[in-house]
Amino acid sequence: MSVLTGKELRIVGFLCNWCSYGGADTAGVARATQPTDLRIIRVPCSGRVNPLFPLKALLSGADGVLVSGCHPRDCHYSAGNFYARRRLELLKEFLPIIGINPDRFEYTWVSASEGQRWQQVVTAFTDRIHKLGPAPRFKDAEPIYDLPGALTSLVRPLDCGGNPALDELKQQIRDALADGHLHCVVGWQQGYDPIHATPLHMRKPEDVDRLIWGPFNIHSTANMITQLIKEAQDAAMVGVKRGDPIPPAKKVGVVVKGCDSKGLVELLQEKLIDRNAVEIFAMGCNGTVSTDRILAKIGNTAARVSAVSGKGDTLTVTADGTEYTMSMNDIAQDKCRACKMPSAKVYDHFAGEPVTVAEDAVPEPAAIMAYLDSLTLDQRMGFWKGQMERCIRCHACRNACPMCVCREVCVADSREPHWVTQDDTVTNKFFFQLIHALHLAGRCTGCGECNRACPVGIPVGALKMQTGRIVQRLFDGYQPGTDADAIPPFLGYEVEEKNIPEHHIERA
Amino acid sequence: MKFAYYPGCSGKGTSVEYEISTKAVCSALGIYLQELADWSCCGSTPAHATDTLLSAALSARNLSLAAEAMKQSGATKLATPCPSCLANLKTARHHMANQEFRRKVDKLLDSPCPPLGPKGEEPLPETYSILQLLVEDYGLENIAAKVTRPLKGLKIAPYYGCLLSRPAPIMQFDDPENPTSMDRLLEALGAEVVPFPLKTECCGAAMGIPRRDITARLSARLLDAATTFGADMIAVACPLCHMNLDLRQEQAAKASGVSYDMPVLYFTQLMGIALGLPDSDLALDKLSVSPAAALQKIGKEISA
Amino acid sequence: MRIGVFICHCGSNIAGTVDCAQVAKNATAFPDVAFATDTMYACSEPGQDAIVAAVKEHHLDGVVVASCTPRMHEPTFRRTVERAGLNRYMFEMANIREHVSWIGKDKEANTNKATELVRMAVEKLRRDAPLYTKKFDSVKKVLVIGGGVAGIQAALDCADAGIQVVMVERETSIGGKMAKLDKTFPTVDCSSCILGPKMVDVAQHPNIKLLAASEVTNVSGYVGNFTVSIKRRATYVDWSKCTGCGLCTEKCPSKKTPDKFNEFMGPTTAINIPFPQAIPKKAAINPDYCRKIKDGKCGVCAKVCPTGAINYEMQDEVITEQVGAIVAASGYDLMDWTVYGEYGAGRYPDVITSLQYERLLSAAGPTGGHIQRPSDGKEPKSVVFIQCVGSRDRSIGRPYCSGFCCMYTAKQAVLTKDHIPDSQSYVFYMDIRAPGKMYDEFTRRAMEEYGTEYIRGRVSCIQPNGRGQYLVRGVDTLMGKPVEVLADLVVLAVGVEGAKGAGKLAETLHISYDHYGFFMESHCKLRPVETNTAGVFLAGACQGAKDIPSSVAQGSGAAAKVIGLLSKPQLESDPQISVVDIKRCVGCGKCVDVCPFQAITKQSIRGEVKAQVIEAVCQGCGLCVATCPQGAIQLSHFTDNQILAEVNALCQC
Repeated sequence: MSVLTGKELRIVGFLCNWCSYGGADTAGVARATQPTDLRIIRVPCSGRVNPLFPLKALLSGADGVLVSGCHPRDCHYSAGNFYARRRLELLKEFLPIIGINPDRFEYTWVSASEGQRWQQVVTAFTDRIHKLGPAPRFKDAEPIYDLPGALTSLVRPLDCGGNPALDELKQQIRDALADGHLHCVVGWQQGYDPIHATPLHMRKPEDVDRLIWGPFNIHSTANMITQLIKEAQDAAMVGVKRGDPIPPAKKVGVVVKGCDSKGLVELLQEKLIDRNAVEIFAMGCNGTVSTDRILAKIGNTAARVSAVSGKGDTLTVTADGTEYTMSMNDIAQDKCRACKMPSAKVYDHFAGEPVTVAEDAVPEPAAIMAYLDSLTLDQRMGFWKGQMERCIRCHACRNACPMCVCREVCVADSREPHWVTQDDTVTNKFFFQLIHALHLAGRCTGCGECNRACPVGIPVGALKMQTGRIVQRLFDGYQPGTDADAIPPFLGYEVEEKNIPEHHIERA
Repeated sequence: MKFAYYPGCSGKGTSVEYEISTKAVCSALGIYLQELADWSCCGSTPAHATDTLLSAALSARNLSLAAEAMKQSGATKLATPCPSCLANLKTARHHMANQEFRRKVDKLLDSPCPPLGPKGEEPLPETYSILQLLVEDYGLENIAAKVTRPLKGLKIAPYYGCLLSRPAPIMQFDDPENPTSMDRLLEALGAEVVPFPLKTECCGAAMGIPRRDITARLSARLLDAATTFGADMIAVACPLCHMNLDLRQEQAAKASGVSYDMPVLYFTQLMGIALGLPDSDLALDKLSVSPAAALQKIGKEISA
Repeated sequence: MRIGVFICHCGSNIAGTVDCAQVAKNATAFPDVAFATDTMYACSEPGQDAIVAAVKEHHLDGVVVASCTPRMHEPTFRRTVERAGLNRYMFEMANIREHVSWIGKDKEANTNKATELVRMAVEKLRRDAPLYTKKFDSVKKVLVIGGGVAGIQAALDCADAGIQVVMVERETSIGGKMAKLDKTFPTVDCSSCILGPKMVDVAQHPNIKLLAASEVTNVSGYVGNFTVSIKRRATYVDWSKCTGCGLCTEKCPSKKTPDKFNEFMGPTTAINIPFPQAIPKKAAINPDYCRKIKDGKCGVCAKVCPTGAINYEMQDEVITEQVGAIVAASGYDLMDWTVYGEYGAGRYPDVITSLQYERLLSAAGPTGGHIQRPSDGKEPKSVVFIQCVGSRDRSIGRPYCSGFCCMYTAKQAVLTKDHIPDSQSYVFYMDIRAPGKMYDEFTRRAMEEYGTEYIRGRVSCIQPNGRGQYLVRGVDTLMGKPVEVLADLVVLAVGVEGAKGAGKLAETLHISYDHYGFFMESHCKLRPVETNTAGVFLAGACQGAKDIPSSVAQGSGAAAKVIGLLSKPQLESDPQISVVDIKRCVGCGKCVDVCPFQAITKQSIRGEVKAQVIEAVCQGCGLCVATCPQGAIQLSHFTDNQILAEVNALCQC
């Protein structure tokens, strides 16, 4: 439906039934004149407002979205608005990274008796939207195809020579496999060529021989954990008859770098895995590489690599008969450049000495974030338009994410609810990325696997990094995956929020 | 310990004994008071009652001087003995946080004040009373350790006056209704402090000129209370309170029909006695009501 | 679907600024709309009949009414469509009165807006599904928290209706604040004489189980089926043996125990019965002051007790009760008035609170009913009462009126004159609030017949004058002059707040409370004894400062709600609750963690962990839906797809 052209803009409101909808009614009873633009959707509680609703509205043509609920402490359902406050503040601060002016989204608290205030809120917000004018539409954005190639500096020297304690690690795994209490131990082995690795499921001591540790054990082993635990549970059920007691499943072993362990800890925080279901083997990581960067250095993405050797900063790759030397500085993955936790902090076995980074070392901000920060709102929208044109909806980004435990029932594949449709539009493809980013807010450990997995090289991790920045600011530097007892910020609340400001639209 | 020092006009005139004893006591305790060169009137009663901007400008000028002086000398805080100067200097600094107000004040000054920092930091120093610095910065135990002639046997009523702890958000010192800093200081000197419920009641202030009858009545009430509660003397920290209670004690007596003979001493004079300083440092002879009889209780003879 | 759309004129309320006929015409073009019309008054009898007729005539399976706010008539029209044979949830409303016609006069804009709101309602209705209520059993038992007069009334009314009552009282005796009063306004009845019989009724009622010296520590479950944990404090006296003879009190040597019942106006013994009419009339030991329990010495009470009821080894005990409803009647406490430094901040012994004065007035009090100054025991001749100490004072964050202080101050002034005929009382007031029956007449009597001097103005400070009296300095605003009164005794009418620990109790009961510890009622005008938590009701001062008749009325009101709730053979659940699609649930438990009512549990279904909603507890907020990443849990009637339908109806690009 189109708005009354020339007079109105499309402004959508989500109002909680008990306070704000009542407040709007009170304003009506008092005949408090308001501009006509606003269209109100009634919800039982501001806590019902999934941030995806305002986001969908804004991406689909709304010029402004307003959410209003009971005042904190007065929620009809006692705590709904506490959660809403955190989630909607996240949304508001997230919007600029995709090129939407955050002033177009507002959330506030209006009680059922505050009719006059509701009038002021609606008038002020409508005026604000009119001053901003019609919102730029994503579908009409001019695509920008530039992608920054800048490399950030390494926060510590990286070493592609592997870890001398690898034999110790292998022995620890062999010893653990010996008594059969482990279903398997997952690690890495060489893949089809020396610069590609694949997951290694070690079940017998001989399997352990193939374990590698070095610049090529790139994949997140945390990603495989939930599936392997399920596998172990299923294995325990073999031969069990109905009515028999269910025997305990064997433990699953996992070899982790520092970043992998963060994924594991986040899974522990959310109680998605039991600490007793996993046995963690850890060793210090000296950095991993981007195979794309290696192949770019060689100059041939189809190069046939026959040998690789690494020492210190220098990697020597033999491809198609020619030797290429390259520096870790040029080929290390972006996440390794800024890594401050190369060694797991939660583990059952640790081989060798922990690799640490100085407490006061300050990593450079990610290049993609610096780039996006330098763009205007319209340019950012164009950037994402340009990037998402390439998306083929393979969902590799989702599949590579350790925190994505929904797997076959992912919201992207469902009609109930129908957030993402089959429409082959850039907006639709982009909406999936936004869902993923918001679902990971406060949970993303920055493992960067989504970026790595994307076959067409879209920097989808930037959206999660944006939520990460917001979470750090709102919740006193909170980092997901570092404290197994911490409650993820969007699954909790404080009655008084230190860092979430009050938004007084009517006092503009 | 080094403090920048703003004496205030009365220190050189009607409350010269306060100035003398303050300097002597600080010197004896090893506190260096660096008097601000070219200090001028803070504005006090006449200015603050008629024009906030003028009053603030007069104070701001001195605060600017202090800022510079403290930078050069390394003095850590700005001190003043007079509560009225204190209130004016503190209030001016409080108002100067507002950029618009600051701009207007700077226009009245020859040299504008140093500007606020990038995060709104205020370069003009905060002012503290000598009483506060002695109690909080120097420390009561340290003072007690230096007492050579305890005031044991003297019953003293501590009188704070209206300004020292009020208005609470600006003065930020002690309890606004029932301050106890001077009480504890006098106890540290060995004196017996009598409960004095009127310790923050108004003495009549500057009404002594336009409406002498009001000052007489209010001061009489204070003197009455001190007598009723059994005090041998009243300790004060303010030149105007002192003037009303001591210099104008006869006027109070006439108003109430009662003769008081209640000595009123500055707390610094009492500190000086307890620290064993020579009489020339205490200027006891400047007092209108002689403390001779009361001081005999602690075996101190002075020339009446 | 075949949807019928009805655009209401509401007389000229809507039709005045909205072209209703045009809106109806526009609606006929919407998908699935089989019939659209405008109507004069949809909620009137002919209006509703027309809807029913249209449903039958046009074979409609869903109805949209565009009229006033759903908060007013949604239940009305749901019943209408049910009468027409449809499920009552196949109905949506568009608010085109409060949100459109009443807030602007631009007919073109309003008509367009009304059309769009109708479109949104139609799109939602297209995704709506019929919902059915379920019935479940309830426990015919009620928990009453608090044994003050409100709780007592609620308990007696419920018990008389045949409902089992468990009353939990924190102190060792019931009676609350009313038991502390000497006399009550406006009749100057003896408080314990009128309350006493009710207290005895509670003790003797076969349907009431009285648990004194007990506190509620945990509540779980849902309306009709609450599980309550109650901690029974050790009294060190076996109440099944104690006869209340009082011999232990006479012999106890620890005579400096603070006396809470007497507002700390005088000491009592470590073992005591709080007051003569206490119910239960049983002794209890204060372990902090008992020499036997603290130091192992003494033991006199055990020796003299004729029934051997003393047990120094007694421990706290936790018991569990199953109840169907809960009445919170935890009462009030006086706020901490020592923030008023100008009144001495508690340092002056003869500046006391009204409750403390009440104990002095009481014949069963620490002075045997003789008004004595705490400092020297002398009889005061000049008594100053100061009203509004901690009420109506924004400077300390207490803007509200405590409701009954004007009345009890007048009563106390009257009683003072009765006790000490040659005394003079003064009352400093801001306003006199005497709204009840015979209230204003009573305050007038205090002024005219009892010679109490009423001064309209506040007191700026109280200063002891060193001669045993206090100089009270205030102002008489009617005369325009400052005043000073020399008082022997000063009584402060201290403002009230929720009882100590009210906030924690509210959290235990999952109800809301305000800054001052008062519990939040459902609706401040129309539902004063209900809360937004199903099955939990309020009575008395815990909901807001109120006098005895109002507390008693609320006690009966809460009882009526409980009786209404539990008298049904079974309770009906609201079907607008969350439902889990176990095919899509991965058992992550996020919904379980965020539900404010703990209405979701993890269950093992065929060996897999899945979330399951306890239907009777779910309040229908939808927080779980917004939390579930894959949308496996959906709130019926507000599902993601239903709300998305409204969003997509508005934003389509």
